[in-house]
Amino acid sequence: MLLVLLAGVLTAFVQQNPESDRLMGVWEPSNGRARVKIEKIGAKYYGKFVWLKEPIDPATGQPKTDKNNPDPSMKNVPLKGYRMLKDFVYKGNNEWADGTIYDPLNGSTYSCTIKMTNANTLDIRGYIGVSALGRTDVWKRMVVK
Amino acid sequence: MQIRNFIAPGWIAGLAVGIFCATTTSLQAQTETPQTPQDTLTSAEEEDYSQYDNIGFAAEGAKRYCSPKIEGLSPAKLISIGYDYQMGYAMKADTFRRLGSAAPPMPDSARILTSNGMRFGCNIPVISRTDLVWQMGANYWEQRYKFEDPSALKNPMLTSLSENGLRTMGINTTLFKPLNDVKFLLFQGSADLSGDYQFGKFMPLKYTKYSAALIYGKRTSEKKQWGVGVARTYRVGELNYIPIIFYNSTDVANKWGTEILFPARAHVRRTINSRNMLFAGYELEGQSYRLWRSNDPTGFNLRNEDVEIRRGEIRLRAVYEFSLKDFIWMSIQAGYRINYRYDVDRLGNGKEIYRAFGLASDAPYVMVNQLTNPLYFNISLNLVSP
Repeated sequence: MLLVLLAGVLTAFVQQNPESDRLMGVWEPSNGRARVKIEKIGAKYYGKFVWLKEPIDPATGQPKTDKNNPDPSMKNVPLKGYRMLKDFVYKGNNEWADGTIYDPLNGSTYSCTIKMTNANTLDIRGYIGVSALGRTDVWKRMVVK
Repeated sequence: MQIRNFIAPGWIAGLAVGIFCATTTSLQAQTETPQTPQDTLTSAEEEDYSQYDNIGFAAEGAKRYCSPKIEGLSPAKLISIGYDYQMGYAMKADTFRRLGSAAPPMPDSARILTSNGMRFGCNIPVISRTDLVWQMGANYWEQRYKFEDPSALKNPMLTSLSENGLRTMGINTTLFKPLNDVKFLLFQGSADLSGDYQFGKFMPLKYTKYSAALIYGKRTSEKKQWGVGVARTYRVGELNYIPIIFYNSTDVANKWGTEILFPARAHVRRTINSRNMLFAGYELEGQSYRLWRSNDPTGFNLRNEDVEIRRGEIRLRAVYEFSLKDFIWMSIQAGYRINYRYDVDRLGNGKEIYRAFGLASDAPYVMVNQLTNPLYFNISLNLVSP
């Protein structure tokens, strides 16, 4: 009974937030080097690498790892599956904020906002401190054809 | 700065897991990932990633465009504050031939103990889209000259250098236009006001010098981009139109690379790790400086002479760039400054002389000066771009 009630509450919750859930899905950054799957965990959104254009590190012949991470304990973690978008909260007006984006090319994490410009396009802005000191990348939604 | 630590301490992560599991148990069935927002997945939540191999754009007509960067490239500097210091050298100034007069020659030689100055630059993205990147920037460089015996100087150019130094202030813009996922156009333009002016006695803007470069290039892989183009430049002091070659590369192991915009600069890069890089190479540096001095105690008004110093130098150097903390990088360089030109042209009302290395004009210089070559050092703090 309790489970049914809880399921009902959650269903109602999800139905109240279909707009925010439009962020979920698989997206490709502009460079085409990776694909990122954005999921919802609790009330926040997270994105992980699910596809890499070059999955093998030519220097080692092994699957790429997060070797540029400044934390030595993370350097051997596989990049595929790595959560590079974290903690995004829907703010309304097609915008998700309060999150971070991780760049495995330099091991840096930036503040980040996501703006959905249309159903299949995201403006992902990583910045340092203030939004003006940043860069926007355009991501496209990917689907099974 | 609102920079977040992307790896939470263990007890925080554990607490987050506990709270999360307690509040969202039923949601687990709806999400294929666990409730722990960790950086990576555990084996229990691994999925079949091959399902993402053969998918396509949801939107019809969506295109891929190449990025302006390649892997391993040194980070772009959003804001830079630095200090440049040249050690002692000698300057033998030519006779200063005054306009319209047969005045007695005023050759002069002097020892410069040091020339140094602050350097500031910023470069802020204005538009950053997949199909267009537009940045605007500003820069201010100064070079102060400390003569061994300034009271003994007779040549008006030297007295002005001693009292006013040289300054360059300008704005610049960069446009990166990818044509597809390989080809791109790159445009850079700048407008600089250079001279011995002081802030209270500014020069007319008609003496602004305009430089530009246009490159057509290809990003042939994640680790290589090249291009060819043309430039209008004052890098060797006087106006030139020259062909340019652009070549950035990184080796397979991400240890070695090149960052070349020939002939302006060329460096070999050695990457210790993504936050520590060494460079060896050179840069051409220079500008045409209007002499605008009017404070000569003898009443001689240099600004009426319509003259400009054509300063161009080659800086052979080693550079170490590293992250001090997060996005704050320090750059330390040491090298040898080789004088290419420090001659003076008379440009009536600012009208340019275009010599094309002697092919277009053999107009003589008003002064041909000689400088010896010192060691130099440069240090800067930089906020680097995402």
